[in-house]
Amino acid sequence: MAVPTISTPSTPRFSPVAKVSMGFVAVAVACFVFADISITTLDPWSEMKRMAWGAVTPDFSVVTGLGMVVVRTIAFALSGVALGALGGFLLSQVFHLGPVRWACASVRAIHELFWALIFLQMLGLSPLTGVLAIAIPYAGICAKVYAETLEEAELPALRVLPKGTGMVSAFFFARLPEVWVHLKTYTAYRFECGLRSATVLGFVGLPTLGFHLETAFSEGNYSEAAALLIIFYVLIASLRFWMRPKLVGFYVLGAPFLLGGGAAIDMANITRFLTVDIVPAPLRRGEFLDGQTWSNLGDWTWTLLMDQALPGMIATLLLTQIALVATGILALVLFPLISRKFFGPVGRSVGHGFLVVMRSTPEFILAYIFLQLWGPSMLPAIVALSIHNGAIIGHLVGRFSDEVRLRPDSPRGLNLYGFEIVPRVYGQFLAFLFYRWEVIMRETAILGILGIATLGFFIDSALADIRLDRAMFLIAVTAVFNMGIDILSRRIRSRLRLSTQAGRA
Amino acid sequence: MPSIRTLALCSAVSLLAWAAPAPIALADPFVFTAIPDEDESRLRQRFDKLADYFTKKLGVETKYIPVKSYAAAITAFRNNQVQLAWFGGLSGVRARNLVPGSLAIAQGYEDQAFVTYFIAHASTGLKLSAAFPKDMAGKTFTFGSKGSTSGRLIPEYHIRRNFKTAPGKVFKKVGFSGNHSKTIALVQSGAYQVGAVNFKVWQNQMKAGKIDPAKVSVIWKTPPYPDYQWTIRGDVGKRWKAGFIQRVRDVLLAMKDPDLLNSFPRKSFVPASNIDYRPIWDVAKQIKLID
Amino acid sequence: MLRGISLTVSAGERVALVGESGAGKSTLLSVLQSRYDGNTALIPQDLGLVRNLSVFHNVYMGSLHRHSAAYNLMNLVWPRPAEVARIRPIVERLGLADKLFERVGRLSGGQQQRTAICRALLQGGDAVLGDEPVSATDNHQSRIILDALSETFETVILAMHDVDLALEFSTRIIGIKGGGIALDAPAGDLSRADLDFLFRD
Repeated sequence: MAVPTISTPSTPRFSPVAKVSMGFVAVAVACFVFADISITTLDPWSEMKRMAWGAVTPDFSVVTGLGMVVVRTIAFALSGVALGALGGFLLSQVFHLGPVRWACASVRAIHELFWALIFLQMLGLSPLTGVLAIAIPYAGICAKVYAETLEEAELPALRVLPKGTGMVSAFFFARLPEVWVHLKTYTAYRFECGLRSATVLGFVGLPTLGFHLETAFSEGNYSEAAALLIIFYVLIASLRFWMRPKLVGFYVLGAPFLLGGGAAIDMANITRFLTVDIVPAPLRRGEFLDGQTWSNLGDWTWTLLMDQALPGMIATLLLTQIALVATGILALVLFPLISRKFFGPVGRSVGHGFLVVMRSTPEFILAYIFLQLWGPSMLPAIVALSIHNGAIIGHLVGRFSDEVRLRPDSPRGLNLYGFEIVPRVYGQFLAFLFYRWEVIMRETAILGILGIATLGFFIDSALADIRLDRAMFLIAVTAVFNMGIDILSRRIRSRLRLSTQAGRA
Repeated sequence: MPSIRTLALCSAVSLLAWAAPAPIALADPFVFTAIPDEDESRLRQRFDKLADYFTKKLGVETKYIPVKSYAAAITAFRNNQVQLAWFGGLSGVRARNLVPGSLAIAQGYEDQAFVTYFIAHASTGLKLSAAFPKDMAGKTFTFGSKGSTSGRLIPEYHIRRNFKTAPGKVFKKVGFSGNHSKTIALVQSGAYQVGAVNFKVWQNQMKAGKIDPAKVSVIWKTPPYPDYQWTIRGDVGKRWKAGFIQRVRDVLLAMKDPDLLNSFPRKSFVPASNIDYRPIWDVAKQIKLID
Repeated sequence: MLRGISLTVSAGERVALVGESGAGKSTLLSVLQSRYDGNTALIPQDLGLVRNLSVFHNVYMGSLHRHSAAYNLMNLVWPRPAEVARIRPIVERLGLADKLFERVGRLSGGQQQRTAICRALLQGGDAVLGDEPVSATDNHQSRIILDALSETFETVILAMHDVDLALEFSTRIIGIKGGGIALDAPAGDLSRADLDFLFRD
């Protein structure tokens, strides 16, 4: 048996992968100089102590009807994901069409919280607001993943079908069953994401766990907040016990009836939103054929771009780049916790538990908590983003590292980490990281709602002023910006020949 | 293949479920909301009690729904998902502008001459003064909610008038705490050095012993302006009985229960009309919060 | 892979393609398939099965072209008794009766092979083209399979590695060596020894 050699770059001095990594680190360091990073609270420790005390004294009694809140959260996730998966599945069948691909890319470039804010304008606090806010972006994501899965599947049965077999029959017999397991696994993962999304939607007023979490945190009732978070973790951790394949049908059927009542939907509101509210103010007020109207529109657009979109984009980019590198570093530090190469079963299960809690907590909620602790600056956002995403990537890299084969006399400890494992998992790690890039940016934008001056801040301000035209314009800018990052990330991945497949988890 | 079977069944039936019209409540209750200017649990206590009072006095089932932002309160009112709202000056002006025919019907006695307090952390050394405290320039500053009258519109107006520039250029850092309770908490903790807060909330929390005078104190009081009011949609008469608006106004003005009034806290409610809020409209227009 | 080949197979023939692995049998089969424009059933080397579906469904796929899409989907979700009744005897004959609703992915190689043959039998048609369809079954089963194929299809063309079985079953033997036809004769005129040269260097 050949002894595996350690793959270290020899000539040229730095491999393309190393150069790209160093480039990203350099950019992040430069961003750090310009970023607003500080702890503004005078005494963060006392608040932290109160939070820690809350965490060990959870109080489940405070929220009345807690059971119903949990049921609603699940119902929103189920309805949204079911509708999104169904829509995504149908779209995946026509995904080869350019316009469909673009439409999917643009709906998934807009975060579900922004979707919720849009639908709140049209539908108000109707359950449909929450369901659509999840379903629409998820349909865009599912369409892409389903289409790729279908495309890459090996389909031996397709060649033996009798002549004259219809397309529909061929699809359901020879194509779908081959990818069914993949689709099922991915959709189950989406459901977990859906639970997070449904929870976060509570922060803008939907009757899910997040609604009460926001109240509890903002009022400093940390025991109550701890109770709600514990319920959330239990919900995620126990997924595989109650989310049985045989029961999915009943759940999906029941979910629409458990969303709770809400305001009736009025078509007039929807029409008004689409035909009046989001039309830029100069167009709405001026004569269509008047030259003045168009010059006003020019001014309107220019002012919005320079005063809000541009600063928002700069802040979003700064924060994204710092958070991306911080995520990467954290992931490299965390992955040994669950790797067989480094820890025994006891250590690993502790590591697993730790990573599950870290990655299950939505970034939005983490950022919210750190903001309470440290006051508004980019610091809470960076920490929140890197904890959540670092734990996700750490988990994936850790699992991947288990597959590395070592020679019997391989080194141990830090040497093993530095010379044997990291060089081998690094490519995969970068693939995961670049795949999260777009996700991190989407989250960064949304954290603006909490007061950090990213694009979301300006969108939230426009909404607070009931200037929906500006809000929609800024949301569109955010979407385009996000799609740009997506394209860039794909370019880098293909240039470095990093497997895009694996990054999808 | 049971899972494909389940999938087929479910998608068929759930399509039906989704296509079916949403269950419509038999008798529409009269629904109101309020801007979330304070801790939510406090608001809930106050307005649930008020909903009972309305139900009893109006003879119509009345419900309060809490919202998470000022904008959400305005939107719910605009979309006719609530018919009555306890708005601030600015949110009321915005809402009535968006819903033609809607009316300001009552305000708190104190809202006729409302005041914003500028408060500062003790470490700043700023003390109460009659003149506008120009030496707060260069400090960190927090407003309340972005859509608040007492926490945003009025303080921003005075800052712009006195410094002749935007708050972002006056202070080292400008934030939006979200509501008045949090403004007090943030300035008291030192997260922000200076803040602007609704004087009623300040007095109420002072009375409740939630404020440590050694840490945070009032440094300036704005001139009075009209603030909170009850605004009702003009079309409620169609849904309930004609004269409904008058009855709601009467019930509000007749409120004597000290428990209820103290929870606002207001001495009593007095009549109000749209025209009372003209000054708010002008100020908002001046600092470009309204187009 | 193949060079200078000209081959005509007439209806009613049972042809065995014999030769070493890699000699070009599979390639010749696929060429035959693409040139033939009648109704053929296929048993490729990878069997063309859907591992996540049951034996029933995989066999049913041989009749997809006879029914409407709606009827096919109905059978995917809930096998109709009429279809089960049609498929059961075929499966029984090949010894898979107890596996009718077993997932194909859980069957042994030989059982999978027989499932693919059942599918071809249900499909029917003028001819069947099979690439080593009996490579994983014992002699007794192989005979049953070959008989069934001969009964169902007028023309049978199979690539085979078992020379004895090829001689016994076919009416014509085509020997492939080095990408060309090295032998083409009626099976009755040949003995085992006549084919040995195909497997020598």
